[in-house]
Amino acid sequence: MTDKNTNSEKMDDVQMAAVAISATIIIFFVIYWSIQIQSVRDLLEMAYG
Amino acid sequence: MNQFVYDIAIWLDDTAWSTLLHESYYMYNWVESTHVLTLILCLGMLFLIDLRMLGYALPNVPASNIANRLNIPMLVGFGIMIITGALLFYAVPVRSTQSVWFRVKMLLLVGCAINAYLFHKRMNESVSSWDNDARAPSRIRLGAILSLVFWSLVVICGRFIAYDWFDCEYTSVGSLSQVLSGCIDGQARF
Amino acid sequence: MSTSSTSILGTYTKTITVVALVLFLLVFSFSGLRRDIWLELYEFFLWLETTPFGLIGKTWGAVFAVVEAFHLLSMALLGGAVIVSDARLLGWVFTDIPVQEIQDKAHRVFVMGLIVVLATGVFMACGVAGKLYWLPVFWYKMLALATGIFFVFFIRKPMLKGDIDKINPTVVKLVAISSMLVWMTVAATGRWIGFAGS
Repeated sequence: MTDKNTNSEKMDDVQMAAVAISATIIIFFVIYWSIQIQSVRDLLEMAYG
Repeated sequence: MNQFVYDIAIWLDDTAWSTLLHESYYMYNWVESTHVLTLILCLGMLFLIDLRMLGYALPNVPASNIANRLNIPMLVGFGIMIITGALLFYAVPVRSTQSVWFRVKMLLLVGCAINAYLFHKRMNESVSSWDNDARAPSRIRLGAILSLVFWSLVVICGRFIAYDWFDCEYTSVGSLSQVLSGCIDGQARF
Repeated sequence: MSTSSTSILGTYTKTITVVALVLFLLVFSFSGLRRDIWLELYEFFLWLETTPFGLIGKTWGAVFAVVEAFHLLSMALLGGAVIVSDARLLGWVFTDIPVQEIQDKAHRVFVMGLIVVLATGVFMACGVAGKLYWLPVFWYKMLALATGIFFVFFIRKPMLKGDIDKINPTVVKLVAISSMLVWMTVAATGRWIGFAGS
């Protein structure tokens, strides 16, 4: 019983960590690339109006 | 022959879109990045298939299973690389046709195509008898090794095109590199 | 008191580590700390160019170009392994083969690719260290790379080691997607280093 319990808790830990880091990666990805794309658009706007 | 290729290149170079693409900093980079990054899709899948035949990758998965499934993303990647590659050539046609690396790369691609055809044919003929073996028979393994070598050389040549060591304008007239690059006398058009 | 605190850390080691690292990175990025450390590192980058790797890379353009090509080839291998194993997690390919089977074997290919990518990458970085130091995109790439490596070895692999049926399928898909995103970012920012320099 306790063994099973620790096992599932361990799984919870990895899953929780996985969700945390995945969310961080996805948020970072969206912010980073939207800033990159925006800066390119700004530059093109400056160049061609 | 060199004159003919050169004339075509000049004609391409004089089209408005070629200049636009070449002069456009972002568009050219974008196409270039797509070309290079699609390597992951095209060669990544190809290498996995080849390494499977050699017994290094996914040895427990049936060979035909690997080949058939990974073929699709590989061909999608290959298609993207052909299109972006053609665009890159179209942006800089004169320098490309007079680049020894570009010429070697095209020859190697022909080698890749012949090898892929033979590999496919041999595989379809005999795969049922060795599908579950970790290592494919020696003829198939040879094809896999050739594929790895050819494609590695293609990437190396592709990378070298970007360098100007043997560009017509920097080599002396009549030298071997000028002959191989097919430099037309007095031509240094980018 | 003390037992409860150790047991909390004991049970949720990974979660606490991840949250702590993310918080640390945020504090690090938005405080003067980042700039201070960056300034400190200049000497180190200049030194990199004087190492044998740096000297070879700067002197022989052909060697540098060949290493670059191998960097690309091993990137293809690494990316291929990532795509296959993540596509399996998302249920796109090899659905008839157990997840574990694909993960184990693809991970070996991944490690092979990673070793070559890192080795060739360090060589190239030494050759152009003085330039890289000034490129923000290089530092983003290093951040993405560190995240990717940490993610694979600290989270993804341990998570998939256990019984996969017991893991929430949404979490599995989330992990697969972010794994692809992080390695895509590493590759794309790497390509951008080349343009940023010219």
